[in-house]
Amino acid sequence: MSHPVDAAPDGLPPPPGLALVRLAAPLVPRDRRGDWLAEWAGELAWARDDAARRGEPAALTHLRLAWRALGALSDALWLRRRHGASDMLSLDVKYAARSLRRRPGFTAVVVLTLALGIGATTAIFSVVNGILLRPLAFPHPEQLVFLRGVPTDGDVEKVSPGTSYPDYLDYRAQTSSFSQLAATRGLEVTLTARGLEPSRVRASLITPNFLATLGITPVLGRDLVDGDDDPGAAAVTVVSHQFWQQRLGGTAAALGRVVTIDGIPTTVVGVMPPDVRLLGDTQLWLPLTVGELELIRGKHTLSVVGRLKPGVTRAAAEADARAVARRLELAYPSDNVKRTVTVEPLRETIVDDTRPALLVLLGAVTMVLLVGCANLASLFLARASARERETAVRTALGAGRGRLVRQWLTESLLLTLGGGAAGLLVAWGGMRALLGAVPRTIPRADEVALDGPVLLFLLLVSVVVGLAFGVLPVLQLRRGDPSLTALRDGGRGATAAAGGRRLRQALVVLEMAVATVLVVGAVLLLGSFRRLVDADPGFRPDGVAVMHLQLPAARYDSTTKVVRFYEQLRDAVAAIPGVQDVAVSYEHPLSEGWTSSYVIEGQPQPRPGTEPEARVRPVMPGYFRTMGVPLVAGRDIAEADRMGAPGAVVVNEAFVRRHFPGGDAVGRRLHRMAWWPGQPETWTIVGVVRDEPFEGLGSAGQPATYFSFAQFPFNEMWLSVRAEPAVLASLVPALRERVWRLDRDLPVEQVATMRELMGQSVATPRFNAALLALFALAALLLAAVGVYGVLSYTVAQRTGEIGVRLALGAGRGRVVRQVVGQGLAVALAGVALGVGGALALGRVLASLVVGVSWRDPLLLGGVAAALTAVALVAAWLPAWRASRIQPAVALRGE
Amino acid sequence: MPVRLTRPTTLVLFALSRGVRHGFDVLDATGLPSGTVYPILRRCEDAGLVRSRWESVRVARDEGRPPRRYYELTGAGADTLRAALERYPDARAALDAPVGVPPHPRPA
Repeated sequence: MSHPVDAAPDGLPPPPGLALVRLAAPLVPRDRRGDWLAEWAGELAWARDDAARRGEPAALTHLRLAWRALGALSDALWLRRRHGASDMLSLDVKYAARSLRRRPGFTAVVVLTLALGIGATTAIFSVVNGILLRPLAFPHPEQLVFLRGVPTDGDVEKVSPGTSYPDYLDYRAQTSSFSQLAATRGLEVTLTARGLEPSRVRASLITPNFLATLGITPVLGRDLVDGDDDPGAAAVTVVSHQFWQQRLGGTAAALGRVVTIDGIPTTVVGVMPPDVRLLGDTQLWLPLTVGELELIRGKHTLSVVGRLKPGVTRAAAEADARAVARRLELAYPSDNVKRTVTVEPLRETIVDDTRPALLVLLGAVTMVLLVGCANLASLFLARASARERETAVRTALGAGRGRLVRQWLTESLLLTLGGGAAGLLVAWGGMRALLGAVPRTIPRADEVALDGPVLLFLLLVSVVVGLAFGVLPVLQLRRGDPSLTALRDGGRGATAAAGGRRLRQALVVLEMAVATVLVVGAVLLLGSFRRLVDADPGFRPDGVAVMHLQLPAARYDSTTKVVRFYEQLRDAVAAIPGVQDVAVSYEHPLSEGWTSSYVIEGQPQPRPGTEPEARVRPVMPGYFRTMGVPLVAGRDIAEADRMGAPGAVVVNEAFVRRHFPGGDAVGRRLHRMAWWPGQPETWTIVGVVRDEPFEGLGSAGQPATYFSFAQFPFNEMWLSVRAEPAVLASLVPALRERVWRLDRDLPVEQVATMRELMGQSVATPRFNAALLALFALAALLLAAVGVYGVLSYTVAQRTGEIGVRLALGAGRGRVVRQVVGQGLAVALAGVALGVGGALALGRVLASLVVGVSWRDPLLLGGVAAALTAVALVAAWLPAWRASRIQPAVALRGE
Repeated sequence: MPVRLTRPTTLVLFALSRGVRHGFDVLDATGLPSGTVYPILRRCEDAGLVRSRWESVRVARDEGRPPRRYYELTGAGADTLRAALERYPDARAALDAPVGVPPHPRPA
């Protein structure tokens, strides 16, 4: 029952307070507003009449009624809360859900697009955030810097990034920008304990202030202190949380325990907090004892970490440090020639190598999201046009614009939140898969989690996308008077649709372009990866296993002992049934090792400090045969090449290319300083071998010198064994047993086959290529959906017109050709744009791609053709549907 | 949604039970502000404790004013009021002598 409010009798002015009530009226839900206004008007009018009857002063009545009318605001707000928004919202949601259910195809495509777009973005963003963006988990991480040694003239080979101990002391004394400077060096140590298999663990030698510089305090016990590093001090160590838990029982009783490290009894004085992961899997922190070796100024092997004083910029600190570096270069030309330093954020030092790959992936995933969003925009636009008539009818029936806007927004928000939720699942699964596949070479991977900021990012993307596309149809609605045009149009939507169609076509062109860029990138990476895998590695990996060994210097303190051990081990292993070949070498074909300098006899003498460097790789006789590295000239190292005999060295082809372009290397001699008593200082080149890929499969050969092991014995060596591939794995227990028969305190780490090592060496490129390929595929699919969507919509809009043309005798083939032609035009425009983009972006990829030109016209042409073909298939479906239009049905629809 | 039996709600229901019918009359009878009374009336109506009608247009026109809405207690409302008065026995006294407003024109 309701009463119109203007049922008030004429003549009288409106009662006091009614103006206030009218002001509050819009708050009341529309369906109750009339009644509500009537009730307040009735009461106010009656109250005025009553007051007049009682002879109340008019001013008092005004005040009293105005006061009461204020209550109308509470009343209206209450009604709105109770009956307004929430009911309308649930109605909106119900209506939206129904309308989405009625178009399951549209809904599924939108939700899937979003799930892929948002999900993939979030997964990658999580990883990038965890590895690149998140600050290190130390107090004031922005103050932490790394002092990197760099050459003044760009010749990286001569200047290692490290710093020598004397230089470190000078930096400490002469700079003023750092509140702390500390130094560290990583190494592997042998840990022995009664009743346990000896094991190798990662350790760091640190200056006593190192942990304090980073801001780490032990959770138990004490930090290292000055004096712990005195050569005569008692050996102490701080252990990792994990080490404490797993080996020391995880109780306070662990403090004071003695562990044997490289044969030296060492007291545990402190335990690190659990979450210190920056330093890899370091288990022990030992004081850097300043011995004879540390005092060599040219031994630049320490990593120097500093903490900037508050307010000091990195640039200022660098200028400060460089001034010191210049003084050192002048004072010690033989050790510090052309050496200076940069001061870089510690975080960058840690993630340096993975940065380009991660940024490329982030770029790729952003592109996928972009394609996804373009697709959504296109879908929503098409839908808005298709619903123009519905909108017009609803407007004509009295639906307010605000009401329609809310309806649209509800629908798109519902869709995007659904897509966001699905995206969350994709992100979670994707991140887990990604981290599962992450090569071990990526640092900080264990810090990655689908965390707060990432979730926030996901929600933000989801809501922005939802609102943006909710608003699109409204923008269309505002153009002209939709109700009239659309109704008159009879649903053909010819007018408003023209602009919309152009916009949608532009979006699809953009999608095709982005997809092209991604596919080109993926093909480049895949091609580069294939080349890596297919390339001749330079050795025969099948049937070869390698085992790493390190003889503790405390017990193996002479070259004789070292040589004897390895020769006995070789003979013992050779006797194992099934073993075809066995050799001992420093490093294996896929390992970089390190370089040392030398001088070639009979060639111009280089200035001090500019001597050439080559890899140092002592080998036993038979190494090249075992590994399958072809000998191209001369002979192998022989048993006779021992201490006391003339020095014998085999070099590789890269070495020959560098020094003997004529090729006559065998018989030439080189000189280097002796490291052990009795070691030759002059070495004759006795043979030349093919290059091994030290820097990973597919890398260019690096000059190497393979000295005779008996003349160049390291405590740390690799044992390589060749056997029938089928029996290789079964040899492992026998190998360990032979080692322990010789020395039961020697740790034997995992034995790896060369095939496994090759797999690890290409893990990172494989991971990058696979990811980019997935993204490219996603983008391509989305773009195809985009082409399909636009053409389907066009065909649906033109059903009538096509019907007329068919009725007038146009051939069906002609209709197909016309629709496909339209799709082709859009696709070609996109592909052309994409090829341009790929050429522009190629430089970014160049850092990831080995041996493939990103400007290869054949490759670009192939990708363009493939993408056009995909677009044609996507276009053909709606075209075929257009050709099946029955003229009679289409015309009836008019 | 059940109505919370507050003291103001008890006062409003009690006033209705005593024959006070219109919104502004309830305000006068209970002394409560309009911002309190009206939401209580709405809530009680939603809960079925109170029903509202409009007085006859004819009567209102005769008096030269727009028609007024009036409220009355339902059976459920009367039951609720009994329970509410047990909780707030002082409500009876708070609503002293009903204001001297005669029940206004009968419904049509």
